Amino acid sequence: MKSFFRMTYPYCLWIGIFIVAPMIMILLYALTKTTDNSVLTFQFTLENFARFFNEPSFLRVLLTSLRIALVTTVLCLLVGYPAALFIAGRPERTQTFLILLLTLPMWINMLLKTYAWRGILEDMGFASEVKVLIGMVYDFLPYMIIQIHTAISKMNRDLLTASYDLGANRWQTFLKVTLPLSVPGIISGITLVFLPAVSSFVIPTMLGGGDYYLIGNLIENCFVHTGQWNFGSAISLIMALIIITSMRLTKKLDREAQEA
Amino acid sequence: MEKKRFSRFLSGGYLALVLVFVYLPIIYMVIFSFNDSKSMLNFTGFSLRWYESISKDRFMLESISNTFIVAIISTAVSTVLGTVTAIGLSKSRRLIREVVLEINNLPIMNPDIVTAIGLMLLFTSIKITTGMPTLILAHVSFCTPFVILSIMPKLRQLDDNVAEAAMDLGATPFQALVKIILPQIYPAILSGALIAFSMSLDDFVVSYFTKGEGLNTISTYVYTMKRYNYTVNALSTIIVVVVAVVLILVNLIPRLMEKKANKEEE
Amino acid sequence: MRKLIEFRNIVKSFDGQVILKGVNLNIYENEFVTLLGPSGCGKTTLLRILGGFLEQDEGTVIFDGKCIDKVPPYKREINTVFQKYALFPHMNVYDNIAFGLRIKKTGEDIIAQKVNRMLSLVNLEGFEKRNVTKLSGGQQQRVAIARALVNEPNVLLLDEPLGALDLKLRKEMQRELKRIQQEVGITFIYVTHDQEEALTMSDKIVVMNAGEIEQIGTPLEIYNEPENAYVARFIGESNIVDGVMREDYRVRFDEREFECRDFGFRQNEPVDVLIRPEDIAIVDPANAVMRGEVKSVVFKGVHYELMVETRTGTSKTVRMHVVTQHDLYNEENQEKISANDFYVDSEDLINNEMTDQDFVSIANAQAWDIDDRDISLTRISHNIENKPGIYSITFGTDKRTEITVKVYVVHPEYVEDARHNIGISALDFFITPDEIMESMAISTDLKTWASAEAWNLQDDSPVEITDVKFDFDPAEIQEGVYDITFSTRGRVYKVETTSAHEEGDRVGLNIGPDDIHVMHKAVGES
Repeated sequence: MKSFFRMTYPYCLWIGIFIVAPMIMILLYALTKTTDNSVLTFQFTLENFARFFNEPSFLRVLLTSLRIALVTTVLCLLVGYPAALFIAGRPERTQTFLILLLTLPMWINMLLKTYAWRGILEDMGFASEVKVLIGMVYDFLPYMIIQIHTAISKMNRDLLTASYDLGANRWQTFLKVTLPLSVPGIISGITLVFLPAVSSFVIPTMLGGGDYYLIGNLIENCFVHTGQWNFGSAISLIMALIIITSMRLTKKLDREAQEA
Repeated sequence: MEKKRFSRFLSGGYLALVLVFVYLPIIYMVIFSFNDSKSMLNFTGFSLRWYESISKDRFMLESISNTFIVAIISTAVSTVLGTVTAIGLSKSRRLIREVVLEINNLPIMNPDIVTAIGLMLLFTSIKITTGMPTLILAHVSFCTPFVILSIMPKLRQLDDNVAEAAMDLGATPFQALVKIILPQIYPAILSGALIAFSMSLDDFVVSYFTKGEGLNTISTYVYTMKRYNYTVNALSTIIVVVVAVVLILVNLIPRLMEKKANKEEE
Repeated sequence: MRKLIEFRNIVKSFDGQVILKGVNLNIYENEFVTLLGPSGCGKTTLLRILGGFLEQDEGTVIFDGKCIDKVPPYKREINTVFQKYALFPHMNVYDNIAFGLRIKKTGEDIIAQKVNRMLSLVNLEGFEKRNVTKLSGGQQQRVAIARALVNEPNVLLLDEPLGALDLKLRKEMQRELKRIQQEVGITFIYVTHDQEEALTMSDKIVVMNAGEIEQIGTPLEIYNEPENAYVARFIGESNIVDGVMREDYRVRFDEREFECRDFGFRQNEPVDVLIRPEDIAIVDPANAVMRGEVKSVVFKGVHYELMVETRTGTSKTVRMHVVTQHDLYNEENQEKISANDFYVDSEDLINNEMTDQDFVSIANAQAWDIDDRDISLTRISHNIENKPGIYSITFGTDKRTEITVKVYVVHPEYVEDARHNIGISALDFFITPDEIMESMAISTDLKTWASAEAWNLQDDSPVEITDVKFDFDPAEIQEGVYDITFSTRGRVYKVETTSAHEEGDRVGLNIGPDDIHVMHKAVGES
């Protein structure tokens, strides 16, 4: 049984090649410049980063991405929290069923659903930002609801009874007991929505009708259309850094909130 | 009491609205896949013309078969790889387990697009032509972390003594693995496989960057279509049906087997 | 009897923490041996080393004359009953029991025969097809035993197998296990922290503590002749008293000399004296060796357990001033305020240790409005100095509703009892009749109001004040001055008796020479 640890060896090799090496490649490309897209003829430079931060239009793209992601997250939270709370208030069997109903559409390819939204919203006369936001909220809402619902339903039911017993009414009980205890769910919900939303580029492209050029599109453009792999790698790295930093930060905030 | 019933009614109404929102595009594509005309908002009459045009669209048919080939192979590979690794990790030293799990988390935390371009850079720089094999490798590498994550908690729940009991009774470590551990974590392996399968089917970004020229999956095919194509609704409807059937089977078979087992017990 | 297992100098540590410190132990054929000790003493570790699930850092395990250090668990002729049974949840009762035989590729007909025999041995006939997860704890336990015994091991290891069962079932299984052991006639090595379990079932008990063996012996030996205070305390109820061995057959404790049956100690060697509660006789105080007061009586079914105090503890008496204090009413603000005078120990004022908040609580200062809502006291001023004397302190609210009370700063007054190493202090205090009447736990509140504390003079560690004596009825308290005495625990003997007594009774205690057991002090204890 002790020798079972050898069973990890193949995967250790695998993650070396398919997870660690690609990250190193991105780092390498981001820090170098070449004339042809080959690793063999390169020289180190910080030019790629400098270019991104010196050009206002690129920064604007970054800000737009962050703004869209932020609005999406807030909308998901506003729509999702009551939904999660109401689901948690139902009998156990109904809860399971409702969560199943919510997760079922997640099995259908995201592009196909977005394509349907394109059809639905086509002639409705919405501004493209509204369309993009509808598409984004649609895609991420279930994640938010499930995270918050898990946190609420994990809560000991006796806490509510205890709170009523100690004289709190429903609204006070929600504010003082349910809400604080669901904070971990809210935080993981936010993480699951905000982070992928920042890098999303399919929904903006398909629903924004070309008006929406986000950081994901910028990266796609560098790699697929203009062949600026070094610059594209640098942008990806900047994005990954922003995302990982904010993730660490939320985790830290969460921990501090728990301790306080 | 009256107040309570009223608030139940309100919350029920809210949940209904949310569910309508969630199912709206699916209902839309099913209905309009039978639409007779090219209208996006008016249902002008029932027809199967879009279903017929799928059967004539060679590229679409190819992308469908590619999608499923990739999903099936990468699910199989990542399930085996993930199961073996998870079991190994549960018996590894803590430091190693934590390092591997940390790296394993990278593709889950990283934005898809970063994972995608990383793999693309890797493949091109070691001069592998992108195509079906690279596509499958890429899918395995983002599916396996999820398989591992789905099996690890179940392994942690296992009573350590149960495997020890098997060896105490004379089973070799390998026998204990096959006869005792695997049967107990089987549900977690199955759900890991399901997650892998759905991740693979759903993926667009990684496929887009690692598929190579001329090869398409459903996602990349739909993305690269320039104009609104009504056959997509028909395709979506077929997928809705397939997914529904798969999910029903996966959920029903274990339940039927359990029923049968219960009957035998009586 | 033939020696079956020999542990030679077994050492084992986890993460730098030594769990076994060189254990030597022989186990013979057909013995029911119990490893007894508190959790963390290393008993389970020793068992797991024998089972092959752990490897010792040093030392050797000899089984049937052969060293088995390098033999993997699945090749050892030893089977284990695990703490939480570790039944295979995906197999039914029959398949669980048949597991070991199937691994050995035994024929199915023989398996059926053996499994059925086991099922009847553990009284589970007819349970073959049951799902193990749906059995009761006791039934799971029986399956686990059958699963191990069907392989006909030479030794069965049982790791706290009854821990998860309720009391009644546990007693039943104890008898059952003993019967099974006698029927199959193999060695049982049983791990438990339950001394009663060990006494009822074992042929031999191994008492362990902190990775070492304290004593090996039959249940009777361990109970009657414990080698040291640790074993005595762990097995059965006991009174253990510090004493000095004057000469052979004479021991001194509790300021008296007693005749005893023990010998072979150094002259004037400090010893631990053990007296079992059931060996102390309660007699008329007039013709008793020791006299005391009954402090508590607990009915235990067959007998009563009395705590008899033969020597009172260290005590300190203070005066409680009960005064009616009228609330001050500020008509303009419609606020009321009240506070008590109070005493403060001048030592507590050094370094400004007392905060305003401390003063508020010690004076029990409160303010409230006409709707009985509390108002915070935000304005506090005083002229208190760190010298004995009478000072004043003023508490006030935001709206300047104020009350001024007296503060008596006094020298600390300790009672120091050098003989028993105990110090105790308490202060006089002022209190209103209302506060006494409203008190839900009067003794605790009195301790708080008087700031009563006791401590060990040597190391300053706190000592519990177990006794608060007063002679008023809290429900009908009047203004006046009352004496309150706080005291620590004196010498208390636990006594088991069948005659009824009441708290406060004066009784005499007799101890005969046969009832006294003198033990060496453990190394490191003074």
